[in-house]
Amino acid sequence: MLDFSILIEYFPDYMEGFLNTIQASLIALVGSFILGTIIAVFRITGIKPLQWLGTAYVEFIRNIPILIVVLFFYLGLPSLGARLDGFQAGTLGLTVYTSAFIAEAIRAGILSVPKGQMEAARSSGMSYIQSMLHVILPQAIKLVIPPLSNQFINLIKNSSVLTIVAGLDLMYFADSINGDSYATVSTYIFTGMFYLILTLPMSYGSHVLERRLAKSS
Amino acid sequence: MITFHEVDKFYGDFQVLTGINLHVESGEVVVVLGPSGSGKSTMLRCINRLEETSSGQLTVNGVRVDERKTDLNKLRRNIGMVFQHFNLYPHKKVIDNITLAPIKALGVSKAEAHQTAMHYLEKVGIADKAQAYPSQLSGGQQQRVAIARGLAMKPQIMLFDEPTSALDPEMVGEVLDVMKALALEGMTMVVVTHEMGFAREVADRVVFMDQGRIVEEAPPEQFFSDPREERAKLFLSRLLNH
Repeated sequence: MLDFSILIEYFPDYMEGFLNTIQASLIALVGSFILGTIIAVFRITGIKPLQWLGTAYVEFIRNIPILIVVLFFYLGLPSLGARLDGFQAGTLGLTVYTSAFIAEAIRAGILSVPKGQMEAARSSGMSYIQSMLHVILPQAIKLVIPPLSNQFINLIKNSSVLTIVAGLDLMYFADSINGDSYATVSTYIFTGMFYLILTLPMSYGSHVLERRLAKSS
Repeated sequence: MITFHEVDKFYGDFQVLTGINLHVESGEVVVVLGPSGSGKSTMLRCINRLEETSSGQLTVNGVRVDERKTDLNKLRRNIGMVFQHFNLYPHKKVIDNITLAPIKALGVSKAEAHQTAMHYLEKVGIADKAQAYPSQLSGGQQQRVAIARGLAMKPQIMLFDEPTSALDPEMVGEVLDVMKALALEGMTMVVVTHEMGFAREVADRVVFMDQGRIVEEAPPEQFFSDPREERAKLFLSRLLNH
């Protein structure tokens, strides 16, 4: 049933898609982590306009399908004067979409750091941002590694939305291989395996990291 | 050095502090006593504005703490604070707990901060624990690190918020000894505590609070032997007669 000749014949296509998926995922991973952290801090600053902005961002973004977010960046942005190719629009959409979930995970992490930590940091004369960076966030990140790694696994799988804006990712190439070979089952099973090559180490890595951090505290 | 003038504080409708008037001189050790819920900690936390006052004036070192435009970070660099639950940073080694604020808030070099930190760790008697994490220390040791952390900013005032209340009884002494030494060196200290022995021995003045008010203010020998107010007499009799 599994036709390995597909894998061999179309290997260059698989590889190109695979590498593009890695690239999109890495960019979105770093981007959504930074963006999500900023939004999370907005939501807990106690400065009302920032809080509203953060809440609106999270509630708006995470309650619409990722397809629409990506299509907005691909089709909607040009009408505002910015034209992005499929890869750029797809990666940006993926970043923005994922950042909303990451913001929620990190916010929960920040809130579970005992209040006394911020008090100790602030009472020693450090600014709010310094206290966040050096005292609160390092502790919060530790607490949010499990939910965060979940989000990053979702991100890798969600990168398949690049397909609909011709983002040249793994799924995009899978469709084209299927169109060429008609070996649908084999084509997509191999595609799934390529995704597993990315996501399984991620799962494993997060378990290892979790254990190691548990030891240090 | 610290002056409260008619300070009130409300949480919503609930009044936690009422008409607080208090003056602390430079080099003075003031111990604040009173039943739980009497507003002692709240009053203390107003001094570095961990709590906001609702009305009245509060001046520290000539700076109005209650004014919005006050540079809080600058004010706080001059006021060390020690908490009931230590609040050490669990993800940082002892030495890094102490050097963090001097490096970030004062802009001191790493080498100098390190040197200062070691000096104060020696002073509180645990220089050998510099490379340990807080979780590897006993409660008494953690609290001494917290004191060293406060001192490393070279503040003019040290605030202590029930520094021994979370400690096992056999560790109370080592923390009080450090505080005693500090008092003898002339540090300005405001201490909220239930340690009557410390108050009697070290305080220049005892302030007794109840229901958000300062009920009595007296030198310790007078307060403990002959309190004027009924409420203070009752408090002391409950403490001493069991």
